[in-house]
This record gives sequence, C-alpha cells and structure tokens, in this order.
Amino acid sequence: MKLRLKSILIYCLSFIFVALLALPSLAQTEEDCLTCHDEALRKNIEGSIHGAAGLSCLDCHQDLRGVKEFPHAEKLEPARCESCHSDLLPEWQKSIHSRTASLGFGPVRCFDCHGGHEVKPKTDPDSKVYPLNLPQTCERCHLGQVTTPRGQDFIRQYQGSIHFRALEKAGLTISANCSHCHGSHDILSIEDPASKTSRRQIIHTCGQCHVGIERDYLEGVHGKDYVKGIKDVPVCIDCHQEHNILSPLDTRSSVYATRIAGVCSRCHDDQAIARQYGLLTARYKTYAETYHGTASRYGDIRVANCASCHGYHDIRPSSDPKSSIHPANIPQTCGRCHPGASRRFAEGKVHLMPDQVEIPKYRVSYLVKTIYIALIVVIISAFLLFIAADLGRRLLGGQRHG
Amino acid sequence: MDKSPYISDDEIFLRMNLTERIQHFVLIITFFTLIVTGLPLFFYEFKFFRWLIPSGRVFLIRGLLHRGAAVLMIANLIWHLLYTAFSPRGRNNFKEMLPRWKDFRDAFEQLMYNLGFTRFLARRGMGKGFFDRHPYWLFTRPPLYGRYNFIEKFEYWSLGWGSFIMILTGFFMWNVELSLRLFPLWVHDIFVIIHGYEAILAFLAIIIWHMYNVHFNPENFPMSRVWLDGKISGRELRLLHPLEYQKIAEERRCRAERLLNSPASQQGLKGEA
Repeated sequence: MKLRLKSILIYCLSFIFVALLALPSLAQTEEDCLTCHDEALRKNIEGSIHGAAGLSCLDCHQDLRGVKEFPHAEKLEPARCESCHSDLLPEWQKSIHSRTASLGFGPVRCFDCHGGHEVKPKTDPDSKVYPLNLPQTCERCHLGQVTTPRGQDFIRQYQGSIHFRALEKAGLTISANCSHCHGSHDILSIEDPASKTSRRQIIHTCGQCHVGIERDYLEGVHGKDYVKGIKDVPVCIDCHQEHNILSPLDTRSSVYATRIAGVCSRCHDDQAIARQYGLLTARYKTYAETYHGTASRYGDIRVANCASCHGYHDIRPSSDPKSSIHPANIPQTCGRCHPGASRRFAEGKVHLMPDQVEIPKYRVSYLVKTIYIALIVVIISAFLLFIAADLGRRLLGGQRHG
Repeated sequence: MDKSPYISDDEIFLRMNLTERIQHFVLIITFFTLIVTGLPLFFYEFKFFRWLIPSGRVFLIRGLLHRGAAVLMIANLIWHLLYTAFSPRGRNNFKEMLPRWKDFRDAFEQLMYNLGFTRFLARRGMGKGFFDRHPYWLFTRPPLYGRYNFIEKFEYWSLGWGSFIMILTGFFMWNVELSLRLFPLWVHDIFVIIHGYEAILAFLAIIIWHMYNVHFNPENFPMSRVWLDGKISGRELRLLHPLEYQKIAEERRCRAERLLNSPASQQGLKGEA
C-alpha cells in the first residue's frame, strides 16, 4: 500500500515535470503568466470588467499567441481593443486623438483614458472615465504635455466653473464634464465644423442638458439668426464663456447683473456689426447715462440691466408682440420693479440718442440739456469775469476803495 | 463813506444771529452731502467716484444719505421760510433782500469800476469832452451797498430758485412710479436732466462765486468770520455796507436828537441844574 502510494506520487511528479517542460508549446493560462508577473497585476485584472467577463491575457495581448521563448519581449504590441469593440474604432479614427502625429506624439489610445489591466465600466465609480473622475483623466495630458492654442490656463479654468463645482462638491454626475461638451471617442478639434464645440453645434451640445434654454434661445432673435447661419450671432459661449462658465449669481460671472451690459455691448456697441446687420449702437453709453446704468456701474444689482428688460435667452425685437419691450408689454416689464407702472413708461425712449430722436417731443430733453449747458457757461463766465476784474483792480490797481 | 460820530469803528454789530448761522451751517452740511452723494451719478466715469463708491452696498448708503440730506435741507428751508415770515428780523432781512433796479446798476458800475477802462481812456486824454460832461462814465468810485449787495442777493435768490427746482425734480425722481403715472417718460427724463445740470450749476456757483466772495477775495482772505460768530465791526460795516452804516448812523442821530429834545430829557437837564 505504501509503495503504491509512493509510485503514484512519483508518476504524478514526473508528469508535472514533463508538462512543465512542454509548457511553451501549449496554450498559456493566467497561471502561467503569473509565474513571472506579480499578484498585483492579477488583482487588477480580476477587478476589471474584462476579468469579470473571463477574458484571458492572450485575448488582449494577441501578439503573445504562439510565442515560445520566455521571458517574452520587453515591449508588447498595444492591446487590440477593436477586436471586440469594433463599433468604436471608426469613431476613434475620426477623432483628434487618433491624429496627433502633427503634434509630435503618438495617438491617444483606449487605455490612455480607460486604463489598462484595471479597465472598469464607465458606471463604476472607480473607472477613470466615471463622470467624477473624467476631468482628472483628461487633465493628466491636457494640463501636462499637451498645449492647445488657447493654452493650459484655459483648460484649468474648468476647475473654477460651476459645472466642475457641481461635480466635485455635490458629486452631481450629470453636471457637464469634458466629454459632455467635447464628446468622448469621437472628440474633434473645435475648428472642425462637425465638432460638438464648434459654433454651429454648441447650441445643441449645451441643449443636451439645458433643453428649455435651447428652446428659448431658438425662439429669440439670436436663435432665429443662428438658424439662418449668420456667423456673428452670439451662441451660448459668447455670453457665458466656456471653461470658466459660472452661475449668473456669481460676482465673477460674465453675466452677473453688473457685468452683463459689458457682454451685450461687445456686439451692440460695435460699429462694424451694427453697420452690417442694421443694429443701433451706443446701447451701452445710453444705458450708462440712465440711473439704471450708473447705479449698475457702481455695483448696485437691484437696478435694471440689459436682461431685466430685454430678457436673455429669448430676446425679441420690440416689434414682436411677445417681446418684453413691445410697447404693450412695457407696463408689465417695468412693473416687475416699479409696482403700478403705467403705459406712460412706454412714452419715451430709454436709449436716448441725440441723432436718432425721430419723434420731436423726445428732442425736448436735448433742448433742455443744451439750454442748461449754455446757461452754465454764461453764468460761470460772468462769475469769472467779475472775479478777474475784481482781483485785477485789487492786486494790480493798488487802489483800495473806501 | 465818512465816519459817523454815532458809530465807532470798533463797535460790534450782529450781521447773522444764531438762528441764521445755524440755518447757514445746516445748509453747508446738507449741500455738500448732496453734492458728494449726487455728483457720482453725473460723473460716473470718474475714477475718484469709483474709489469713493467701491460697491453696491456703498451705493445703497449713498442713496440713503442723499435722500436724508435732502429731507434735512427741506426742513431747514421750511424753518427759514417760517423765520422769514414770522420774526421781525427775518421780515426785515427779506425786505432788504428784495432785488431792486439799483442792484443791476450796482453790478454794472462795480464791474466798470473794477475794469477801469474809461478811466484809462480819460488818462490818455481820449473822450475828454464826453467825460467832462458825464463824469458818471468814469466810474471813479465803486457803488455804495446796503445791507445786502447784488452779489449776496444773487446768491440768495439763486439758492431759492435752485432749491425749488431741485426739490421739485428730486421729488419726482424719488417717486418715479408717481412721476410716471402723471407724466410720460420723456418728461421724467427732463426732470433727471434738470436735476443733474442744476446741481452742476449750483456746485460751480458755490465753489467759484461764493468761495471767492467770502474767502479768497483779498478783502476777506482767508475768510470772513461772519458765518462763525455773526459779528461785523463798525469799520467793516462802513466799508462794505455803507448804506446800512449810513442808515444806522441816521437812526441813532434821530434818536439822540429826539432824546435831547424830549420833555423827559429837558426835565432831567432841569433836575441836574
């Protein structure tokens, strides 16, 4: 009995020995790889989606198939993800990440974003492309070796934006991260008209989340011109900025109550744009001259700014009966701040310009202004004449009366 | 003006009593508060005002101060009107303050006297015949002023007119909803324009005209102290307000004569004798 056991053991051991000798010629298993590669790699793979799916090393490292000499070459070929994920290959091939040669480095591959052995589904909070982690993943290159025409500071601005704050502070996974706006596999240069961030597409890109705002915008005068393809029409990013987009309630926001006039006047005070599209200019100057404008310049946020009267996303011309500045709607619009505002609010011009007062009675205010200036000049000149004469006599004449 | 034996040069007269000085002082405070809190709205591009009003909160305080000072100034004005109407001194001041034809002539004569152009011509022997026949046109002496000269009258009535304009327009700017219930927007715009330009005019008038006349005029430099203690000496009265000086001297002379001729004084003299 004892002898028999021993012979079985010897038999088995010699079989294993022979099997081990024959190993290179046989199909490798993970166990085989682990004779060299450490336990950490194994844990990585087991925790990954590929591990859960039962993929073996050779499913990705296809160039190891049939290799007999070990240890194998130091550098293996990149994993060929497209052998399974074939649907994503054309998207990637179109993207700027596949065409980086002109920038001086190789293409950005799947594992650069998704991770290698540890790759997780995008719904896994540990995934490198999970919404909360994605900015960090992109920033690894875009705050590092990569420079875009706008510079790295432009990319870093995202960290101050309301989108990132929602992501980081509140863990709001639906808040816009890089891929919401730029796309993921099919990411294109901003100069490409098909890019999600191009001027043509940005309305729909922001509209993915801001559905109601996109609808309002398209109904407004800007949106209508946008649909016509006019290139100078403001899109979302022209007013709200891009990476550093902030809440309108944030004092640093470009659309904060006291700053919005500066944004609107970029176009509405521009002579070239005004001439090309038949707009009125001096909108800012004529606003600044009013109490609203002056108070706003001093930081008062209670007074009316451009958006208070004109609306914002669905701005309409005053000829539109649905416009907040249509004469019939003025009492209601002004009444939001001035309770009991009457139709008298409409009897006059808010942006009053000396050269375009088409209705004679509006000229009265300019007449009054001119009269006052003349009066001031005359009276002050008379004062100065009296003073000069008086001083002249006392100082030069040397003759004191009395 | 010759010295009167009835008024010593060292005698002190009360040109502004305490009530008048307080009214003047309240006016200074409220006027400059209104200027400082109001001008930033007119000159909104001045860096200094941006520095003065760095935030919306300060701007809010600016508005409160402006309206507060306005209310105080109006109260001061009402006090002044009541004082003018109901006190004998106020009524007398008002009578003295009324503009007369003489004031226009005074202004002209003072200017011509200061310029001395006609005297210059006469010295050169030009127009000799004309000046011999009409020595008035040589303006050899300045006009004689009463209690208030044309400068003071002009300032007083400018202030009155200006206050009326500013209170009226300011009231409608304060109550913009009421204003726009009564008037169309273009009329309200005119209120705003008037309020601003009238303020500039008032500010310049005070800075240039009033400051010169009470501070920088060599006659008063560094300043007339009347607004502080209200006192004016007999000498100053004689030099600056000769007609008032004359009037007081005349009153005293009459009183003295009456006293001398009255039965009581006769009796006194008798008793003494």
